[in-house]
Amino acid sequence: MGLKNPAEQAVILLRSRLCNPNFIFTLFSDSPDSNYSKLKYIISSSVTESCNNSVLLLGPRGCGKLAVLELVLEDLLREFPDMISVIKLNGLLHSDDNCALKEIARQLCLEHQLAFSKMASSDENSQFLIAMLRECGLAHKTVLFVLDEFDLFAQGKQRLLYSLLDAMQSVTSQAVVIGVSCRLDADQLLEKRVRSRFSHRKLLFLPPSREDLQRLLEHALLLPSGSDLPHEFVANFNSKLLNIFADKKFKDIMDTVFNTDSTFKQVLTFLFSALCHLDLKRGFLSVENFKDALSNIQRQPKLECLKDCSILELYILVCMKRLEVREHETCNFNSIMKEYKSIHDSFQTTDYYARDVCRRAFEHLLRRELISFLDNRGHGHSIEFRPVKLLISWQELYQGLKSYGSCPAILYKLVERETTT
Amino acid sequence: MSSEESPQITRRTTRLSAANSENAVDSSKSCALKPLSVNDLLYGNSPISLEELISSFPGRRGQIIELMSLLGPVNSPMFPTFVYGGSSTGKTSIVLNIFRHLRRPFVYASCITCYSPRILFESILNQLMLHRKSDSNGYSSIKRCDKPSDFVNLLREALSGVIGTLQGNAEKAGSKKAARWPNGKMVYLIFDSLNLVKEWEKSSTILPFLFNLYDILRMPEVGLIFISNNSLDTYYADTGFVEPFPFHFPDYSEDDLRQILLKHQVNKNLYSSFLDVVLRPFCRITRRVNELSTALLPLFKKYCEPLGDLGAVPNEDMKRKLYGHLQRHIAPSLNETFRVSAGLTSGASRSKDNERKGIVKKLEACTSSNELDFHMSTSAKFLLISAFLASRNPATLDASFFDSTGGSDNRKRKRKSSAKSLEQKETAEQELLMKGPGTFPLERLLAIFQCLTSVAEYSPDVEGQGNRATMGDSGYIGSHVLLQLSSLCNANFITKGGSCPLEGSTRYRSNVSEDMVLKVARSVKFPLSKYLYRR
Repeated sequence: MGLKNPAEQAVILLRSRLCNPNFIFTLFSDSPDSNYSKLKYIISSSVTESCNNSVLLLGPRGCGKLAVLELVLEDLLREFPDMISVIKLNGLLHSDDNCALKEIARQLCLEHQLAFSKMASSDENSQFLIAMLRECGLAHKTVLFVLDEFDLFAQGKQRLLYSLLDAMQSVTSQAVVIGVSCRLDADQLLEKRVRSRFSHRKLLFLPPSREDLQRLLEHALLLPSGSDLPHEFVANFNSKLLNIFADKKFKDIMDTVFNTDSTFKQVLTFLFSALCHLDLKRGFLSVENFKDALSNIQRQPKLECLKDCSILELYILVCMKRLEVREHETCNFNSIMKEYKSIHDSFQTTDYYARDVCRRAFEHLLRRELISFLDNRGHGHSIEFRPVKLLISWQELYQGLKSYGSCPAILYKLVERETTT
Repeated sequence: MSSEESPQITRRTTRLSAANSENAVDSSKSCALKPLSVNDLLYGNSPISLEELISSFPGRRGQIIELMSLLGPVNSPMFPTFVYGGSSTGKTSIVLNIFRHLRRPFVYASCITCYSPRILFESILNQLMLHRKSDSNGYSSIKRCDKPSDFVNLLREALSGVIGTLQGNAEKAGSKKAARWPNGKMVYLIFDSLNLVKEWEKSSTILPFLFNLYDILRMPEVGLIFISNNSLDTYYADTGFVEPFPFHFPDYSEDDLRQILLKHQVNKNLYSSFLDVVLRPFCRITRRVNELSTALLPLFKKYCEPLGDLGAVPNEDMKRKLYGHLQRHIAPSLNETFRVSAGLTSGASRSKDNERKGIVKKLEACTSSNELDFHMSTSAKFLLISAFLASRNPATLDASFFDSTGGSDNRKRKRKSSAKSLEQKETAEQELLMKGPGTFPLERLLAIFQCLTSVAEYSPDVEGQGNRATMGDSGYIGSHVLLQLSSLCNANFITKGGSCPLEGSTRYRSNVSEDMVLKVARSVKFPLSKYLYRR
């Protein structure tokens, strides 16, 4: 195990920082009116005052809701050891009530070193839950329920939510229910009886502002001086990085990123991609790395798909577009073939192929999801009669044809002509 | 026979169970397979270098280097990656070979073989817990798992186990055995053919679950790679999901295709001159490697026909001659690009016969020979014809077509076609194009079948191969007819349409084209045109 290249070590360090949300969000936890402090205040006050509480964390995906919650929980577990136990549930996994009760029982048993039986029925699990809540309440221990993807718990009969919130009100318990959701109307999804037991406290998480973004860049990418990397390398790396940050081209790139999608997740993906492009031999980041990263995250998948199509497949797409323009309500493979034949008859193209070949190209297009069937239930019909629709717009088709390279000129003419008529 | 060999056994033993009991003794004596270890999470027996990797995938140098930079140096965490691209662009093999080159441990699950969530979860857990399905444990998985919540808990346990072993290995590095051990402390999960998950029943929960798996697990020592045919924007979900890092594999360009097709050829010069002629027209139809290579194979054989020595290096003169020989075969062969020939040997001998007679196969003759190239029994053929007629003709005209004289001798008198009726004919044709064949209930099919076979019996033209006896009297429909119907359904010549909401009986629909039915009718010398309703 020889000495690793310091650039490699730096890359590993930076990558682990970017993949660790706790690190990123410690930056935003200092100001007093940040979500971190508000959340910490709510939970710690209910712990110290031995009361029940509930709060919803809302915001678009990738804005740090769970990350900030994790930070708060870490801090509280340090401040109040043995007074808090945390139960984590996820709507994707535990939206079924029986599943959720089983998971709650399992986590409670794990926490309090009790034996967990997988064979317990859901009745037994819910009785166990209520009993545990009572015991914890009597012992002045707070139970924190974290419900991720809260809107998925609000589907169906909401039995779990009701039983949790009801237990909090009737039994001598100390519990805090923290719901996390990306739907801003998550509380509107609750039934009346559940909503009445829910305190309407909501914390909104928003994507960062431009200044916050700048702070984030420096926080994430500047190498720390206390690590075991060679000191000179760290100083060099950081100075080069600060030069890049001051560069106008870089500022334009960051503006583009900010304007398209400024959530934390997107910015972190951008930085990760730039890190991947770092040339290990040179050892430092450069503006080209960031440019490559920008093109990586700004993809046009339908254009890429069109460039991968063969010329026969492009013909079929153009035929479908022409049929659409002529306002045929539905088209199927037979009508497309009729149009294909009429194009060949009027323009004498060299690309006239047999029906079987065209049908196979049609199936390729279906597989690529550039076209799709109108209804999924028509499995009785053969592929030639089922109605299909185009999944790309005229502009995308035109752009795709233009960037194709060896596209036959007849296709341009056909697509252009239809827009003017 | 076992029942004769051992008469003292009162219970009859079948031959199968007797054979098994002999083998069971052998299998216990056979050497048990070695238990799996963490080293088995690697791909391939021998590592390959970067140059070998790049040279074995022509045209993919950029993708390989970029993907390796995404994976990063050893022990560096990564965002989940989503690799997408068209079919047969090399995604799976490149990903697996990159892992072979880097010697990092991974777990691979393909959604083609793991076609339900339970099989997917159990396959991954089996690999992580180093469990092999064998006779001793009754070919069962190590744990039963069909819910995502159980999967996450078990996955955490299994991953911590594997990572612990890898960390132990890392500390013992320096021993001689370390060369065969996997690199690093990270484990990677590869999910292949993810686009098939969209067709599962629970896809609306499974897909967001898989994409969010990295955030749910919160283990930086795990890397996730998803491979799919379609890009991320075709995976729509109500409330979205955490998007993995997209990575695109574009289709091969013509030059790349040429390099790939040349790679395993014996005589590269000859094949290269062949490709000069043939690659461009075929690329206009498809650019997939698998389809091109099967389509070009018979054409290359034809190209080499005039050559005496297959190892020859062609010069300009020879190339021109070979091209002249091949030219007239290119266009018909383009129209057969996707055809899978039913009988290769019979086709080859047939073409040789034609060559001897000096017949040049024209476009039409190639695609539609006048004979069926598979065998059907006579009653199945009549059933098929009846089904086609039932789908094509409207039910109200059955009486006039199929009366007791066995056919409509009194056709509608031809009226002069006015402009309006021509228009009506056109719209009717358009409707036929759009709507497709109609449905019919079983009774109608059997009635038409009875009528047709009674006609066929009395007509002297039917192929008398002793089949008349099996068709029975005109009033008797044997069970074999219904069996034929179900085999026709299995062969997709007839499909079950929806059931009529009033009656509740199932309706059928015929799926064959008119050309095929004409061939079938010709083979039993049945006058199909008399019975077809033409508007």
